[in-house]
Amino acid sequence: MGLTDRLRKRLARWAVSGAHVLLVEAPDGWAARVGAERAIDARGWRVANGPADADVLAVCGRPGPELAAAAARVWDQLPGPRVRVDVLGAERAGAALTAAATGLADDVAQRGDARRRGEDASTSGPADDSDHGDTDHGDSDDGDGDHGAGDMAPHGIPLAEGAPDRDGLEMDVLHLPLGPVLRHWPAGLVLHTTLAGDVVVEARPEVLDPDRGPQPSATGAAEAAARRCDAAADCLALAGWNTAAAAARRVRDSLLDGDPQGPARLAELHRRVRGSRTLRWSLRDLGRVGDDPLDTRRELPDGWRGDAYDRLLALLRPLDAASDAADRRPGEPALAVLPELVTGLELGSVRIVIASLGLGPDDVVRHPAESGVRRA
Amino acid sequence: MVEVSAVWAPLAAILLGLLAVAAAGLDGALAARGQGTPALTGTRRPGVEMARLLRQRRRTLVSADRPLWRFGGGGLGVVALLMVAVIPLGRWTLLDLPVGVVWFNAMDVVVWALVWLAGWGPNSGYGLVGGYRFLALALAYELPLMFALTGPAVAAGSLRMADVAAAQHGLWFAVWMPVAFAVYLLSVVAFSVWGPFSTPAGVDVAGGVLAELSGADRLLLLAGRYALLAAGASVAVPLFLGGGAGPLLPGWAWVLVKAGLLLALLVDLRWRWPALRPERFAEVGWLVLLPAVLLQVLVVAVVAVVRS
Repeated sequence: MGLTDRLRKRLARWAVSGAHVLLVEAPDGWAARVGAERAIDARGWRVANGPADADVLAVCGRPGPELAAAAARVWDQLPGPRVRVDVLGAERAGAALTAAATGLADDVAQRGDARRRGEDASTSGPADDSDHGDTDHGDSDDGDGDHGAGDMAPHGIPLAEGAPDRDGLEMDVLHLPLGPVLRHWPAGLVLHTTLAGDVVVEARPEVLDPDRGPQPSATGAAEAAARRCDAAADCLALAGWNTAAAAARRVRDSLLDGDPQGPARLAELHRRVRGSRTLRWSLRDLGRVGDDPLDTRRELPDGWRGDAYDRLLALLRPLDAASDAADRRPGEPALAVLPELVTGLELGSVRIVIASLGLGPDDVVRHPAESGVRRA
Repeated sequence: MVEVSAVWAPLAAILLGLLAVAAAGLDGALAARGQGTPALTGTRRPGVEMARLLRQRRRTLVSADRPLWRFGGGGLGVVALLMVAVIPLGRWTLLDLPVGVVWFNAMDVVVWALVWLAGWGPNSGYGLVGGYRFLALALAYELPLMFALTGPAVAAGSLRMADVAAAQHGLWFAVWMPVAFAVYLLSVVAFSVWGPFSTPAGVDVAGGVLAELSGADRLLLLAGRYALLAAGASVAVPLFLGGGAGPLLPGWAWVLVKAGLLLALLVDLRWRWPALRPERFAEVGWLVLLPAVLLQVLVVAVVAVVRS
């Protein structure tokens, strides 16, 4: 074995010891995703923010055809060396990551993968590139219709159109789908947004694979609290408070493990989050629900009252089977109010507001009555 | 003050690089602690991440503005090096500019362009939003920073770094102009896209200006970010912390020790504070920081007139 081979092996070993994993969560994949996150922490790996940052694509749960197609497009965007694994349950997450590590370190296989991708790209021509192109994690065909080919759409991507922004000034607008493969995002949801700068001026939710049946929801008060804790961790991470987000995930894990200390740790976390003045200043008045008579007519879940800050604290409330049961009222038009809730907000605020709602798989469902939720 | 030949520039780059790697190591240790793994294993993080990114392939996007994109990502480290060029390291300095303070300010304004280009270049929605966010933050921090830099210059009666450092014998500027010092540190964190000011590369926009970068390009931008943080901490030493003055150790060693401690403080900030959302921070920048730092400069000016 030559010196370069040894160096390459060592480089690979180091690189693999800190791999980044992009998680794709199917609507039934909550437990699998949590298991994957725990396995990632245990290995000292990281969760990736996007495909460019990822070495491993881990699909958690069983995605329907639309989500699977989105995952395949994201897979194309991983720079490589890359490995794709399916995590079907929390208990199999560790083994899946071990397999991923082996695959990542396999220089020969990775070089073969890179060669095949090069060939694919050269045979499929430039027209196909739009799919590998923008960060589109959903459909990339927004706004294509009214722009022909030619100068208005270089490489098949239409130029930004103009529209008045919230102050009535003409501004370029950009179409950006949020989800379905996006960190700290409800599984199976795509929000098609129109942005003026970084302000959402229009939003339209879409549910991927809407024909799936009812999803497994929480069994017991501890798991319901763990799910809430996980939603709170998403919200805290989006608010940029990493330490508290990590603490919330640890509390979630201890609740799932049935640790008797779990409820006490949840209460402590609640105190800590409530004690941060920066967080309160940052989240106050975001996505306020409940003062509008429209909202009462819609009978929104009680947990939605108040602003993002109130909802975050409510997510961290103590274990309480009754209130969690009341929270789950299937058939509520949860998604139908999303557009009003987020229009006019900066993109980061939109993300925080949506995370603060703690949308579960049973909230991300299609309502035939709501025109805004139909598939475009 | 001895202006040394440009042959020594690589040494400055190495020292800056060591500070940046130390900062990345400390951040890795803090991250490992948060993950529940031993903090010591986290110190390997810079090496692991470097290996990972060197092994990863570069990528590009349809209609990406590649020259500007790469320029934006790669330029941060260069700017950081240009910042530290005016720092007196003991008796020596690379660039003994009579307007060293202004030079530093000019370099930090270049960061505006670089981060914006890194966001604009890839032709990606998330990158673009990241770029917008940085400009929004920059509008809020830049004016307070400029006035914060005025404080030491007025007190020393000079824009030369060495003169500013020498004017603090006995009492550091950090002690009697705390507002200017605090605003300066906040601005360093902000132009390094770090901690509470990391929203341009935030997880909510899938990494923002980092969203589309992979491989060596990503490595350059991440390293540039640490280098900027290290450079900002180092420039604070002649401006606010008395330069190389200190007992026992030689001047150059004190500069490095002070810069290292300050850098550790800035790295730790990331794990203590939630992010400041750009649209809310603009209010703080203009209504709180700017008046406060203007008052600070007024006090400094009065003291300077009375003393002379």
